[in-house]
Amino acid sequence: MSEPTVTESVDARGSYCPGPLMELVKTIKSAQVGDVIEILSNDEGSAKDIPVWVKKMKHELVYRKKVNDYWKIAIRKKH
Amino acid sequence: MEENKNPSFAIIVMSEELEKIHAAALIGSMAAMTGTTVNFFLTMNSLKAFLKENVSEKNFKTGDVGKAMIEKDVTLFPKLLETGKEMGDLNIYCCALAMDVMGWRKEDLIDIVDDVIGITTFLNMAQNAKVITV
Repeated sequence: MSEPTVTESVDARGSYCPGPLMELVKTIKSAQVGDVIEILSNDEGSAKDIPVWVKKMKHELVYRKKVNDYWKIAIRKKH
Repeated sequence: MEENKNPSFAIIVMSEELEKIHAAALIGSMAAMTGTTVNFFLTMNSLKAFLKENVSEKNFKTGDVGKAMIEKDVTLFPKLLETGKEMGDLNIYCCALAMDVMGWRKEDLIDIVDDVIGITTFLNMAQNAKVITV
């Protein structure tokens, strides 16, 4: 399966919870509808929190995968 | 006029302990970023932690976790609250009584503080809100 094109990637590795989610919220706010935002994070709390926030705010979780010691999480802005 | 159906939190902060204030800021900022209206009421000793001089020197009352948060340079409550304000509906109010007895003015507190108010004004805001006290 081909991966969607990432519009913007934010490297939040090294940031403590809830830093990565805060970075995502800021980036989503300034993004265009349809953009795919990718967050890199090594925080386990954020790996769980980000999908919950995305669902609650009715955006779309494109993928969430662990690469070595960090997570790559991509979200499509829906509205 | 359309009724505001947003869920709402009223968070009353009394403690000057970094851990309690930080936990309240975590809850409040994330709730604000998820569409909840959040009103903070800072009162009693908690106000000490919001004085500009104490924030700039990271001079807070801490236990073990708070000490570690400072050592590891964790993003502390002022920045969390600032982000919550930028990304959501989050307001921070201070207790007029505590400010008065200590001789503090709004300018002595970090800039994220919106206003100094009395408890009646806050109670009015907290009507129908979920109240969290730390």
